[in-house]
Amino acid sequence: MLAKLLVSFAYFLDSLKWYKGAKNFTYDLLENPKSKIKPYFDAFIIFLVLVTVSILIYDIAHHLPYHFEIMENIAVIVFILEWLGRFWIHDDLRYEIIKYHEKKLAKEEEPSFFQMLKMIIKTKAKYIFSPMSIIDLLAILPTYRPLRVLRIFLIFRLLKIFRYTKSLNTFFRILSDKKLEFNFLLLIGIFAIFMSATIMYVFEGVGNNPNINSFIDALYWSIVTITTVGYGDITPVTNTGKVVTFLLVGGGFFILVLATSIVTNALSEKIDLVLENKLLSRASKLEELIVVFGYGRMGQTLCEELHANGKNFVVVDKSEENVTRAKEKGYFYLKADAQKYETIKNMVFNNDVRKVVINTDNDALNLSILLTIKAERKDIEVIVRANNDENIKKFKIAHADFVIFPYETVAEVAVEYIGNSVKFDAIENLLLKKSDITLDEVNILDGSDMIGKTINEVGFKNLNITTIAVLKNGSSKNYIFNPNWNEYKFEANDSLVVIGNEEDIEGIKKSIARQFT
Amino acid sequence: MIKIILFGYSKTGREIAKLLREDDEYELHLIEENPLKVAEAREDGFECWHSSFNDDSIFEELGIGTDVKILFCTSTNDSLNLFVTLSARNLDKNLKILTLIYKKEDEKKMLLAGANRTISPYDVGALKAYRIIDKPKVSKVLSLFSLHTNKLAINEIEIPKSSPLDGVYFKDVDIFDKHNVIFLGILDRELGDEFIFFSKGINHKIDYKDVVVVLGSKKDIKNFKKEIGSV
Repeated sequence: MLAKLLVSFAYFLDSLKWYKGAKNFTYDLLENPKSKIKPYFDAFIIFLVLVTVSILIYDIAHHLPYHFEIMENIAVIVFILEWLGRFWIHDDLRYEIIKYHEKKLAKEEEPSFFQMLKMIIKTKAKYIFSPMSIIDLLAILPTYRPLRVLRIFLIFRLLKIFRYTKSLNTFFRILSDKKLEFNFLLLIGIFAIFMSATIMYVFEGVGNNPNINSFIDALYWSIVTITTVGYGDITPVTNTGKVVTFLLVGGGFFILVLATSIVTNALSEKIDLVLENKLLSRASKLEELIVVFGYGRMGQTLCEELHANGKNFVVVDKSEENVTRAKEKGYFYLKADAQKYETIKNMVFNNDVRKVVINTDNDALNLSILLTIKAERKDIEVIVRANNDENIKKFKIAHADFVIFPYETVAEVAVEYIGNSVKFDAIENLLLKKSDITLDEVNILDGSDMIGKTINEVGFKNLNITTIAVLKNGSSKNYIFNPNWNEYKFEANDSLVVIGNEEDIEGIKKSIARQFT
Repeated sequence: MIKIILFGYSKTGREIAKLLREDDEYELHLIEENPLKVAEAREDGFECWHSSFNDDSIFEELGIGTDVKILFCTSTNDSLNLFVTLSARNLDKNLKILTLIYKKEDEKKMLLAGANRTISPYDVGALKAYRIIDKPKVSKVLSLFSLHTNKLAINEIEIPKSSPLDGVYFKDVDIFDKHNVIFLGILDRELGDEFIFFSKGINHKIDYKDVVVVLGSKKDIKNFKKEIGSV
């Protein structure tokens, strides 16, 4: 009975659109590293933490005015809501229950309420006892009146800030790679402290030294000495004590030096990785990202062109040499093997990517990247370079949108050059934007008021804009070359390829777009 | 017939040779330094000379300095390209030389050695890729003009004396529309060989000896040429 109720509740939740929407929104707000609102929310929480901790400090010596209490209460409510939000989005239990139910149905068994309850408790407990959740709870609990004694724990709120500072997290992650070294140092340190404290206590604790009255005193002296702090309130009086001090000071110095070098070493080893991650997380926030696989000679020229025209792009290459070159230029880059599915998933599928250029000098690799992308996302436009003419066909079979065979293109340019160089120059002027005359495309959007009008009527003739061709639905399979000025009437989804003054063409494009605002 | 020498049966060399073979306007001679490449060219059905360029006599034998009009240096070997460019320029001041480069830094060197123009497959490929990204539909239309697809052509026509176009202003010409060709612009001999786009020079006058550049299907262009008296 209870089990049935729980299962139908899970199905009910799953059918609610607003429930999913709300959950997604909460995820964007609290956890999604790519969301646009999260940074604002993070900043707000950090502000609350700093304000409430300042209030606490002020409160120690002063009487709190009334509105400060309100501030404190608001902060705590926000913290509680935040914690509950994270508690909520930590997992998708309704899926788990539905899955469990389906599994049981397949086996023709009845779902057990206790098994489901166990599942729920286990998953949620996992969240509650995670370190971040404990920090959050410690920041909330001391506000509860009977626990006022624990007010000092409010200082834990400062720990909350860690959650929102990525750089600190990265720093700790880097250091955690050196766990072994740190553990070793810690062990040596503890051993040295206890050893010297014991010796000190044995030789000076029984009346020889008036300052050492307990083992705690000896321990305190030992720590002050080994850290090279040396207050001097407790000093050795016996010869044995002095010898121990020599050794302890030397050992302390040694441990400090080692610890420093471990941290420096860890940082210098990982700094490239940290920088790369930072760059990539910045790149992944960009819209209409273009991914360029391969930063060889062709990739370099392409990226220069993309960069000069303000396009957003990322370079992916596995060669150290090429990656360094991209890095020096200040581009977004990823040093990774594009043969691995992970690389393509992280770079292409997880970002807002519409166009990909694959231009390594290895056709097998190019084909593998192309197929990986097209297998999952047909809508991404892929431009691929063929290094061998026999492979052009293969790329086309693999659904490449454009195949570039550089040698053929060069040959065409070279042959053009034979005749007279007039047309060569004319085309080059157009393509390299050497004059204010340009080749451009104008799209007739569905619903535009240009539909049904002739070329003459929309004023192309007056502006001396020549329509070279009309592509039906943007495809070159169905085109009209040199449409008649007075007869051809525009239709929806026509793409016009025109030649004319750059400003005039821009003006026409703008007037089309304005109609839709 | 225009006599052309192609030095270097590289990937680019091969593509050029393939394109030129189809056109009987040209007489093509291949020469290569690497015996393996020579064999490859012969396998593909080209006659190919072999030379290790120990002395300049080979250039004279090929006809450089006498009847060769154009030289393509498309070897994969940069220093050989440079050497052949320099030697050929030495023999013929008016020869048109187009040299392949693989590194941008080499451009100046090749021009200094006497090449009229350098070209890099990587740069051309990259610019093409960029054009596809930036203006995909323009690229689609341009590919219709590609020699490979042979659908549309870009042509240049010198205006003969007493042609109907001689002395006509841009805005007054309707002969292009009649033949379904697009008038791109002209190279004006009076204005110091500057290319003037149709869109820009509406009050411009066409004179004889000017070169007009038109776009259209091969058939339409042929008819157009007939009418203006260029054939």
